[in-house]
Amino acid sequence: MREGLLLLLAAALLAAGGCAGADVMSVATLAAKGVPKAAQAARPISDSEEYYLGRAVAARVLGRYPLSQDPQLTLYVNEVGLAVARKSSRPETFRGYHFAVLDTPEPNAFACPGGIIFITRGLMAMCDNEDQLAAALAHEVAHVANKDGANSISKARWTEVVTAMGAEAARQYGGAPGSLVSLFEGSIDDVFKTIVVNGYSRGAEEAADREALRTLSRAGYDPQALPQLLSKMQAKEQAGAGGIYRTHPPTGDRLAKAKTEAGAAPPPKEEAVRSQRFKSLKI
Amino acid sequence: MGKSSYRKGRFSHRWGWLFSLALALALALIAAGAAWGETLKVGRPNQSLYPEPDFASTPLARVPLGAEVRVVSRRGDWCQVTYAGSTGWMHRQAFPAAQAPSQFGALPGVLFGAPVKETKSDEVAMAGKGFTPEVEASYRQKHPEANYAQVDQVESFRVDEAQLRAFLQEGGLKP
Repeated sequence: MREGLLLLLAAALLAAGGCAGADVMSVATLAAKGVPKAAQAARPISDSEEYYLGRAVAARVLGRYPLSQDPQLTLYVNEVGLAVARKSSRPETFRGYHFAVLDTPEPNAFACPGGIIFITRGLMAMCDNEDQLAAALAHEVAHVANKDGANSISKARWTEVVTAMGAEAARQYGGAPGSLVSLFEGSIDDVFKTIVVNGYSRGAEEAADREALRTLSRAGYDPQALPQLLSKMQAKEQAGAGGIYRTHPPTGDRLAKAKTEAGAAPPPKEEAVRSQRFKSLKI
Repeated sequence: MGKSSYRKGRFSHRWGWLFSLALALALALIAAGAAWGETLKVGRPNQSLYPEPDFASTPLARVPLGAEVRVVSRRGDWCQVTYAGSTGWMHRQAFPAAQAPSQFGALPGVLFGAPVKETKSDEVAMAGKGFTPEVEASYRQKHPEANYAQVDQVESFRVDEAQLRAFLQEGGLKP
């Protein structure tokens, strides 16, 4: 009968393979075997973890900047943002993309892991038209798609997260988060510091530009809008200026690359309509 | 007499074994049938049907919240489904209610231990991850200055699909 029971279990295990089984099985494996060193380094952040991390980072951003309560502006930014997000390399995230405006004259934009994207009134005012706003948002969507925020968590901390998760795995069903909370705090600090204070690496910025150009073309916006916006930013950049000049530096090299890669596409349709609806906004 | 009992015992043991095998195969077939022939309900808004199990592929169609799709096959986190006459792929995140193991043909309580304490679908889906709703709750308690109320406000803002389509069309943008 023992063989029979084993067969029953084996059959049910075979049948369980599918969309949902993997996560729960990995917990059982973790609890039973612990976490091998190789797996610690290799484990990527899951979509759900990225979502909760992004919410915490957004909560910190909103602790620093006021959220615009203008429904018309919020709707418009969401419409333009969704127009580019659905044509990006990652059109869906765990809980979708959400765009919001921060009430500050400082020109800046922040992409929180998981898909919450903030743009300031200052950066919106710097845009000449909808296509340039789309370029700024497409660049931020690219940071989400490339998981640049989550990737800024230090490797050492991430290894600790996985180790703590192994230790907690047996208690997952009981619900005590234990040391994970302090590691969560540290991870939020890593991401916040990167997106609000220090900025991404030059490589991550250029990769986001390239991805933004592809996204703009796919969405029907003018890819030239990105180098146009970078050029405006470069013209206004002042020595020692903070905000977007520090977190997304519009270097000459970056601008030159964006110009070359934007190519000479035919003018997109309905540009006048888009410009008109942008101008009708009260920024 | 003893020999006869021995033979009878072996006979019973062998038949018992074969019976278990047949039962196991039947169980596997039933469970597989449930998994591959079932209908799932879309539980999240803004979901799409993709030609490949890849978010980077251009969506074939939008699938509204509450729509029912029929599962054809599975690959990792993706389900191949039919919806409104089209066959394509949807990510499992579209079906939060179906992420509990019992709804994917497994045996609850046998393979996965005791039932999870939380019954909310999110909690079930999150089980085993490092950063969970519970971790967030502890963090919020510790950091009252974190403005989660406005994060919820940002996340609750929705653009109606028809309104978005009209916006894209008016601006000459691609749907």
